[in-house]
Amino acid sequence: MRRTLDFLKAALLLVLALFFLSPIYIIIVNSFKDRQELYDNPLTLPDSFSFQYYVEAMDKMNFLSAFGNSLYITIVSVVLIVILSSMTAWMLVRTDDKLSMVIFMVFIATMLIPFQTLMMPLMQFMSTLTNTLNIPMYNTLEGLIFMNIGFHSSLSVFLYHGFIKSIPITLEEAATIDGASKFGVFWRIIFPMLKPITATVMILNVISIWNDFLLPSLTLIDTDLRTIPLSTFYFFGEFTIQWNLAMAGLTLTIIPVVIFYALAQKHIIKGIGEGAVK
Amino acid sequence: MTFQRKIVGGLVLAPLMLALAACSGGDDNSEGGGESSEQKITIFQSKVEISDQLAAMAEEYTEETGVEVEVLGTTGDDYFQQLQIRLNSEQGPSIFSLQNVTEAERLESYIYDLSSEEYVQHIAPDMELALGEKIVGVPYGVEGFGMIYNKDLVNPEDVADYESFVSTLEKFNAEGINGFSLAQDAYFLIGHISNYPFSIQEDPYGFVEQMNAGEVTAAETPEFQEFADFMVAIKENTPTPLSMTYDQQVGDFAAGKTAMIHQGNWASGILSEFEYDFEIGMLPFPLMGNDKLAVGVGNNWAINSQKDEGEIQAANDFLNWMSTSETGHRYIVEEFGFVPALTNIDAGELDPLSQAVLDATNSGETIPWAQSVYPANIVPNDLTPFAQAFFSEDMTAEEFLQGFDQAWQGAQ
Amino acid sequence: MKNKNKKKWYILFTVPLLIIFTTVVIIPFLIGIYYSFFEWDGIAANAKEFVGLDNFVQLAGDERFRESAWLTILFTVLSVVTINAIGLAFALLVTSKIKSANAARTMLFMPYLIGGLILGYIWQFVFLDVFTLLGEVTGLDQIFFNWLIDPEFALFGLVFVFTWQMAGYIMIIYIAGLQGIPNDVIEASKIDGASPWQRFIRITLPLLMPALTISLFLTLSSAFKIYDVNLSLTGGGPANATELFAMNIYNEIFGSGNYGLGQAKAIVFFLIVAAITLTQVYITKKREVEM
Repeated sequence: MRRTLDFLKAALLLVLALFFLSPIYIIIVNSFKDRQELYDNPLTLPDSFSFQYYVEAMDKMNFLSAFGNSLYITIVSVVLIVILSSMTAWMLVRTDDKLSMVIFMVFIATMLIPFQTLMMPLMQFMSTLTNTLNIPMYNTLEGLIFMNIGFHSSLSVFLYHGFIKSIPITLEEAATIDGASKFGVFWRIIFPMLKPITATVMILNVISIWNDFLLPSLTLIDTDLRTIPLSTFYFFGEFTIQWNLAMAGLTLTIIPVVIFYALAQKHIIKGIGEGAVK
Repeated sequence: MTFQRKIVGGLVLAPLMLALAACSGGDDNSEGGGESSEQKITIFQSKVEISDQLAAMAEEYTEETGVEVEVLGTTGDDYFQQLQIRLNSEQGPSIFSLQNVTEAERLESYIYDLSSEEYVQHIAPDMELALGEKIVGVPYGVEGFGMIYNKDLVNPEDVADYESFVSTLEKFNAEGINGFSLAQDAYFLIGHISNYPFSIQEDPYGFVEQMNAGEVTAAETPEFQEFADFMVAIKENTPTPLSMTYDQQVGDFAAGKTAMIHQGNWASGILSEFEYDFEIGMLPFPLMGNDKLAVGVGNNWAINSQKDEGEIQAANDFLNWMSTSETGHRYIVEEFGFVPALTNIDAGELDPLSQAVLDATNSGETIPWAQSVYPANIVPNDLTPFAQAFFSEDMTAEEFLQGFDQAWQGAQ
Repeated sequence: MKNKNKKKWYILFTVPLLIIFTTVVIIPFLIGIYYSFFEWDGIAANAKEFVGLDNFVQLAGDERFRESAWLTILFTVLSVVTINAIGLAFALLVTSKIKSANAARTMLFMPYLIGGLILGYIWQFVFLDVFTLLGEVTGLDQIFFNWLIDPEFALFGLVFVFTWQMAGYIMIIYIAGLQGIPNDVIEASKIDGASPWQRFIRITLPLLMPALTISLFLTLSSAFKIYDVNLSLTGGGPANATELFAMNIYNEIFGSGNYGLGQAKAIVFFLIVAAITLTQVYITKKREVEM
């Protein structure tokens, strides 16, 4: 009985997963077809599995340089987001007063603002900063990282906040009595306990920063600063889209993220059969 | 204890490092050993299809003159918004593109007056982008649209006026062939085809202005009345264009499933990616017996007047070189594949559609693009929703006219 | 003394992020509010004319904006329900001890990585070809036809695709929540002879409240702000039947060139949505079980 149920569950999962993956199949097979083949039937396997469109896409995208830029931006942004938002969230939870509540609510409220309404004032303000303080926010990877932290911190603070609330305060109190400073307490005791949520925060941020098009397209002007999504613009004309190159480019874009996700998700999941660590 | 210090240090340092890195990375002129006489210009343009060729041309220019040219691009459909944001935040390019007068009016403060430049005299008559008396844009090339037809299926005499057009559609419909196809994108659905009732007027641009002012309406204009009949006939005799992508439209045409598509010579590029074994040509859309192709300019080069004198001069030199040098001409005709809008260029080997446009231009047998003076963004914002409603609901020719008038007034 | 110290730590922990956040998000938002009192076409060199509350008065009578706000609310409600139901079901499935759970987690998550025009291409094809075919084969052409070009159904098409895209994303939050439930509680209830359904309702669900808060809010905010899927799938059509709020604002700002009016719309809608969602967060937070 138990076994049949498990088997049914597994079968159900497989069917669901396949349904969810069918569009991915469309992307993969069509990254090998020319326009005539694509028109004839988008669902069939391609005539030949030659990687010419991948080579062409990589060449046009200047893939290595773009990959390097994307990697740099993503890693630095995510590390800083994790550090800053976990600390902020912890302080907001543990200092239970009006101010913390207001700050927290402001973080949350800004998640409701569509980026499209912010982009023009943002760019104008950044150019003011650049001109008055001489800090080049524009056209530098570091400037983009700075903005990424601003835009992605709300979600991260929100996630950490929810998780930290469920951690018993007794552990911290014991450590404080032993004379550890707030830093010591946070980094030695709290942060390690946040591992599952840190993995979650990292996954969500890596994906949205890695795939982001709009913000980099506004801030990065030089060709050699382009990220991977930016460098795919060649394939998207106003009316004609080179589907095979675009899909090959997309495949190249998501492979690293999928690998990262597959590795990182294990940290969200407790080992099967392992009891709760208490 | 040391651990703590590391953390505190790290925290203080992180923003600092950002700032520092930003400072060091932001020096534009740090390359080239600080030779300030080195002019650099940037070109930000909207035709993705010519990005590579343009970059190659810029490289040749740099080799010849030593002036550095950086070519920037964006995906085809968000160009104007990107340009707007860049200009607003003082990050504008030296050379940018403008589609039409409406855009030029909005950006008037950023557009350099080219009237006194020598190279603008080569622009073909009536093809320059002008604001009042000022010439402000040099055309990329000439483009024309009409009915692209399959010569095996369609005899031009059978689609020369309303009656014959409709009976031809009905004949194809009975044979299971799509006689005439629009596509789902804003301009392919209504933007281009809505030109005709304006363009065949005595004074097309003036008529658009009268329409804007509400002095005339579509409902009481004969050209529009027949246009409405055309649209109803197209709707009744052909599959809905709302689910017709551009790829599908051209693919069906190449496969012989569609006899005529409403497109321009730009479709040559995508057509060449399909296999077909018949001759193609371009016919005028026969509204009120019209026998002329609609020819105009889709894009123009303009210079950013907010830049310093040196950069404006450098931008002018570049446009001058492009319009007059042999290398520039070679790129325009062979690499970009444009039908040149400059009189000092001989067109090269052209595809049949571009040839049709060129012949029409040379003989003067053309009607203008009224869409160049439409109110800003009326096509995607007002006319397209209306056209979608027309194709997805029951609507008579009278209702079409009323709806058209409403949509037009809604954009004022 | 002690209090002073406390403040110092508070500042040290929160201020670095607050500075960045203020610079990047708050100040531009305030600038946007400032613009909402002006008539301006969004071109820096062109005149800005102070018009007070005119923009707000004007949008009150804007039929298309009201329609768009209503559509957005409808879309959001539908999406929040479907995404959370499916996302939670996925999470329960892939955390049970069965083979292939690992691979399934990755597969279910992948749709989230597909965005922009390619997403539009794929789904337009699915709705046009696959749905029509299904309709012909099964004879259920009342259900299976091209939803995207039908004014009545296009919005459901958006909900369908958005659910496909987001369910795997929300699943992650639920997985994290499920992992936080102590095993001994579950084991104890098994010994007490509770059925799986009772266990889910009485134990799992209450303990999942924090994850539910987060997931609800995340789906709410992304559904309210949806733009990409909207643009690539229907472009707001047919006949504005799916012009959701972000697109309506975008068209107002960059299409019609009414920058002030667009910002005014953004603010009004923001206030409405913020009121709704902050209430939601407040209520669900109250219901969370303190461990």
